[in-house]
Amino acid sequence: MTIELKKGVRLTVLPTKKYKTIRIFVRFTAPLNVAQTAKRTLLTSMLETTSLAYPTQTAFSSKLAELYGASFGMNVNKRGNLHQINAAMSLVNGKYVADPTLFSEAAAFLEQVLFHPNTQGDAFDEKNFTIEKNNLISYMKSVAEDKQALASLALQELYFANDAHQKYPSFGRPEDLIDVTAAELYQTYQAMLTEDQIDIFVIGDVEEAVIQTIFAQLPFTDRADKETDVFYQQPVENVIREKIVREPITQAKLNLAYQTGVYYDQEDRIALMVFNGLFGGFPHSKLFMNVREKASLAYYASSAIDTFRGYLSVQTGIDGKNRDQAFQLIEAQLQSLQQGEVTAEELAQTKAMLKNQYLLSLDNPQAMIETAYLNQWVPGSEMTEDTFMQRLEHVSIADVKRLAQQVHLQAMFFLDKEATHE
Amino acid sequence: MNKKVYQQINETLYEEVLDNGLTVYLLPKADFHKTYGLFSTNYGSIDNHFGYHPDDLKQVPDGIAHFLEHKLFEKEDGDVFQKFGQQGASANAFTSFTKTSYLFSATDQIQKNLMTLLDFVQAPYFTEETVEKEKGIIGQEIQMYDDDPNWQQFFGIIKNLYPKHPLHIDIAGTVTSIADITAEDLYLCYNTFYHPSNMVLFIVGNIDPEETMTWIKENQKDKDFPEAKAIIRQFPAETVADIMPESSMQMPVTRAKGVLGIKGDLDKLPTDGRELLRFKNALNLLFQMLFGNTSANYLRLYDDSIIDDTFGFEVNLDRGFYFADFSGDSETPQDMLAEIEQILLGIGEDPEINQANLDLLKKKMLGKYFQSLNSLEFIANQFTQSLFGDTTLFDLPEVIQSITLADVKAAGLSFVDPKAFSRFYMYPTETK
Repeated sequence: MTIELKKGVRLTVLPTKKYKTIRIFVRFTAPLNVAQTAKRTLLTSMLETTSLAYPTQTAFSSKLAELYGASFGMNVNKRGNLHQINAAMSLVNGKYVADPTLFSEAAAFLEQVLFHPNTQGDAFDEKNFTIEKNNLISYMKSVAEDKQALASLALQELYFANDAHQKYPSFGRPEDLIDVTAAELYQTYQAMLTEDQIDIFVIGDVEEAVIQTIFAQLPFTDRADKETDVFYQQPVENVIREKIVREPITQAKLNLAYQTGVYYDQEDRIALMVFNGLFGGFPHSKLFMNVREKASLAYYASSAIDTFRGYLSVQTGIDGKNRDQAFQLIEAQLQSLQQGEVTAEELAQTKAMLKNQYLLSLDNPQAMIETAYLNQWVPGSEMTEDTFMQRLEHVSIADVKRLAQQVHLQAMFFLDKEATHE
Repeated sequence: MNKKVYQQINETLYEEVLDNGLTVYLLPKADFHKTYGLFSTNYGSIDNHFGYHPDDLKQVPDGIAHFLEHKLFEKEDGDVFQKFGQQGASANAFTSFTKTSYLFSATDQIQKNLMTLLDFVQAPYFTEETVEKEKGIIGQEIQMYDDDPNWQQFFGIIKNLYPKHPLHIDIAGTVTSIADITAEDLYLCYNTFYHPSNMVLFIVGNIDPEETMTWIKENQKDKDFPEAKAIIRQFPAETVADIMPESSMQMPVTRAKGVLGIKGDLDKLPTDGRELLRFKNALNLLFQMLFGNTSANYLRLYDDSIIDDTFGFEVNLDRGFYFADFSGDSETPQDMLAEIEQILLGIGEDPEINQANLDLLKKKMLGKYFQSLNSLEFIANQFTQSLFGDTTLFDLPEVIQSITLADVKAAGLSFVDPKAFSRFYMYPTETK
């Protein structure tokens, strides 16, 4: 059930008896804008640590402890041309701890956090602001310590080189934060609260009418509709962008980016999932079997698709001296799919894995929420379980071959160890 | 088959020990699509010196338990991952210090997948050729961990606390140690530790318990196992005098890291399972009162920028070892550890240790417990730890309720001993 609480503010209740918890998820969606992403990330750090009613981290955490250790956290994400701020709260269903008012207390906490931040006048509390800003800058820098993350972000920057908004991480860059003030961040907060599209989800053993009454009392306001095309597109280029970075590491990373041209609202999305499963999505895939297993060339080798940006990436961890061999082997796997070299058994296995993945997602509260979100944002994409299964069943080797042929290599990133003197 | 109904948490658990010694747990979850099966042996990376007679013990190369885990998936007729894949399931495995576990999760063909799980783990196939090939793959895996600062930080403190005990050895071993592994070594470890009497099978999900138990029994009765024998696991003797008080290393990190480790004395632990579980949770509650995000200490250290939100602590209690670590990123890691030590040494008079705080944190612990029960994987993993005798995960609400302020203080006084402290630092690599 979905209802509009205010213009641009929707509430979706997903009742199920499966869980001992209730999850509340509030998503603020705005057009992706590189000038805003770092500030929006800092905003989540501010809002998830203190508020006016709970002005210290300990007061804030103690309130959550009192709500039977409810979890609360905020983060940011991007999806195609959209930038999202998420607030997620998970709490035990009051009936397990004999506390019938637990949910309404949790909603009251959420109201405090979202509508009454820790501000003085028109600025965030200066002391907290400084701490959170420094911590976030430090965190942003430390992402480079995770070499898999480093490689995948560097590949993204290379592939989306011509788009100022797409090429940077969803959480922004440290240099965008240096000059931000507590007053400026308050503007970011106001914009989020009054201009973003808001989707609220509640999933658990709950009664819709009760939830609706509780959320209708929150002081949301009407907001204008934003006409944002979810899907990001860019032209295929003839020149493949390449970049090499050297760092003091032991395992090298070779990551490749391809354009697929296939988007979430197209029927080919299901066929693309099958293609990706065969290419590098599963342990029986060509990348896993031939690059990792047969050639022992990589510790990991896999592929992933993004149907909001028409993007396909391959990630591998290898010994740096095997770079050319690994690259040729990856390309050979794609060529083999382009020639339709797929056995009936491989196809059936991939479909069985995708079917399993789909059914597993029905057990996962956040996956249910994401599907409900997309059903609203991409009208016409909603699919029943039967439709999904039928479409999956219909995907043929010819479909896989056709999609493999429309995949174009666009960028290569190589993280190698520093040259040593021998 | 024993059936136990847990009213408060609304769960029914079935349990039976089969004739061959295998312990089986079944937990039906009718609303779920998923079924998760976990087959686990009480054998991990630390079990590298063992046998049946004290005068005939064998030492095997480091990293062999993890190596064996990898190799069990490979059979004469192909890779077991593929077989699970063909049956629409995903499979995985992991090796810890004390356990090796194999698992599948599936939404369909549960009987077939369950039989595959039992059969592949119970039919080893190791040849010199396949063992050699695996060394390249695992070598890459080891190298990946070499580049992971958090992993290096974790092992940094363990090396200080357990300089002799094999706990300090990386679970995957080293490139040099795995080079020595032979097929014969693998069979020796397999035959010793993969006997059904040393293993637990836990199935949770959309299952009918009677039917599932019949499948398992049918499968097991056709297999021959030798008589179960008591395994001797040998570990080097170690005292607090062996602890290395401090060490450090450099890595390309942004902020420095610091860890305070405290080694616990196994001889002081309660022997009764339920008491041990109470002790572990009492210690956790104590540290939450002193250092958790609801404590005044945490706020002061955070506001003074001595700690940031990477700060955390953990009580590790497992077969044959017991320690706690307090760690985080800091611009001033030495100040951070000095502060932590001072707080720990003042347990006797710390005003944070009071009834109101205990009640609040027990409430939090109870709620977190119920949240964790959403995860079928978590339930299965916890059950196969079997550290607390007959007391299980499902008894935890009642155990938490029973913990008093006196229990918490006593646990702290029993554990915290400045002679058992050690510090580990990781500093950013100096730029050239």
